[in-house]
Amino acid sequence: MSEKELLKGNIAIAKAALNCGCTCYFGYPITPQTEIGEYLSIEMQKNKLAYVCAESEIAAINMALGAASTGAKVMTSSSSCAVSLMQETISYACSDELPIVIVNVMRAGPGQGYIFPSQGDYNQATTGGGNGDYHTIVLSPTNVQECIDLTYRAFYLAQKYRNPVILLADGLLGQMAEPAELIDNPYPQIDNSNWRLDGAKSRPSREIHSLEVNQNKLNQHIINMYKKYEAIEKDECDFEEYLCEDAEIIFTAFGSLARHVKSVCNYYRSKGVKAGLFRPKTLYPFPYRKLNDLSKKVKIFIDVEMNMGQMLKDIRLSILSNAKISFIGKPVGNWLKEEEIINAADNIIKEHYASI
Amino acid sequence: MQVYSTPKAIKENSNFTFCPGCDHGLAIKTIAHVIDELNIRENTIAVASSGCSVFLYNFLDVDCIESPHGRACAVATGVKRAHKAQGNNKFVFTYQGDGDFASIGLAESMHSALRGENITAICINNTNYGMTGGQLGPTTAMGQITTTSQNGRNREYHGFPIKTAEQIAQCEGTCFSARVALYDIKNIINTKNTIKKAFEYQNQNLGFSFVEILSSCPTNWKLSPKESHEKIKTELSQIFPLGVLKDVKND
Ligand SMILES: Cc1ncc(C[n+]2csc(CCOP(=O)(O)OP(=O)(O)O)c2C)c(N)n1
Repeated sequence: MSEKELLKGNIAIAKAALNCGCTCYFGYPITPQTEIGEYLSIEMQKNKLAYVCAESEIAAINMALGAASTGAKVMTSSSSCAVSLMQETISYACSDELPIVIVNVMRAGPGQGYIFPSQGDYNQATTGGGNGDYHTIVLSPTNVQECIDLTYRAFYLAQKYRNPVILLADGLLGQMAEPAELIDNPYPQIDNSNWRLDGAKSRPSREIHSLEVNQNKLNQHIINMYKKYEAIEKDECDFEEYLCEDAEIIFTAFGSLARHVKSVCNYYRSKGVKAGLFRPKTLYPFPYRKLNDLSKKVKIFIDVEMNMGQMLKDIRLSILSNAKISFIGKPVGNWLKEEEIINAADNIIKEHYASI
Repeated sequence: MQVYSTPKAIKENSNFTFCPGCDHGLAIKTIAHVIDELNIRENTIAVASSGCSVFLYNFLDVDCIESPHGRACAVATGVKRAHKAQGNNKFVFTYQGDGDFASIGLAESMHSALRGENITAICINNTNYGMTGGQLGPTTAMGQITTTSQNGRNREYHGFPIKTAEQIAQCEGTCFSARVALYDIKNIINTKNTIKKAFEYQNQNLGFSFVEILSSCPTNWKLSPKESHEKIKTELSQIFPLGVLKDVKND
């Protein structure tokens, strides 16, 4: 039984990865996530695990692809513009059905942007920057404890569904220290002896490839992938509801920004306004159904993001009622403060909600 | 007396789908013979790449993963190291075109050599991008006509070709680098012995081993199979000399 300790998000992710049996890490430096690779370089070399200072993110993700084909637990970490470099191989890994955990500690974009925090990679993570029909599972932690919990979950889901999983953190979370408990990995091991490449000993040889020259086979392969995604969408949606039960105004937010929005909800509750927060923890699969169920009693949805409204389109897709949907956001830099959110929200609420 | 039998490491009922006279089939069979002789079929993981080489897994009866274009050495690095981390020493080799190895994937190839990654890379040098229809590639010779150098490769537009085996020999982590050809029986036997040496060096944990095979591409060269081999013998092996460029055991 461990206890709470003061942990930075980046280190928490690295420790959780080691704790749940990650034996392979490949990476290339980029702020604000470099500590993950630095921390693992010490620990993994100590234990003779697979660690490569790759020559680029392209090399890193391809090393991860190769390592994943052996059935090992594999992780790479990077940030925004450098995750862009990995997209080709993420698409391959989805078609190859290989489990890789990819940590993106988001910084500002587009292009090089800068090291300020941002949530600008929602689209990249959830709709993919790679080619073809595929999905990556995307998990969004809100605090350092969830960096640990969702790292475990990322490895578990990657192995369970044989699919890449993106842990979408942000610069603030990566760099921030707060008390968290390095709990034990709660998930079971998944048997992979029926597909991993470990030499064709006493069995037929195996091939892992995305190339398929027979169009019927390729069609069928993609249809099978989508059956898997259907199961993921049915069983793996995860979210937090805060004061949503009787809420007439629901804020939506993901990641560490949701914490500010929680305070905003508390403020409105103290003023007698029935406000709540809905926070998706899985960005893919997105909890469309749950949000629509909630929308029947809700007058206004206010989506708050540190980008120009990327999750907003999923909110709009979810809600089939007549509830009003508005947006508060800015693209990069210091997270929107409670006061800023309240100022903007007051105007929206005044317009649509007489009682304030 | 049996003079020839198909290697065991070739899948049953394999019909090679390469163009007539293409050396890819011969190269794959030669590798299969070496796998038989070293008895490593059940301990091998091959990495195929994008290009005509991708079809490796249709013919070779070993575990195999396809790599994105150019990244075979990085994928092989992951395979090798992941197994090593679990205490398994697996035999890992890549099978790549020259465009794959020395153009789009040059960084991954060279850094694997520099790290002394304990893998073997086999590179089929047919002096063009074969699968896409014979465009100018990193090894296209000066003056050579391709679909994107219709007046011949020239300095002004295209610059110079890479001598891959020489470049890889320069890397400290390389234990073995050689260039071979398949245009006659003598050279086929030599290719087999050279690949065998490269594979044995990996088994002895000596570092990155590399074999570049000068290979025919009759379709894109617009020559007959016989003329193609003649071209390799008389022209290409002058530009890309055959031989061992590095051997740590002899240095
Ligand atoms: C990233 C990417 N770019 C381009 C291609 C298209 N493509 C497929 S094979 C190939 C060239 C292969 O040439 P080489 O590596 O020399 O092998 P060969 O086919 O001649 O054996 C190209 C350009 C691709 N599949 N992926």
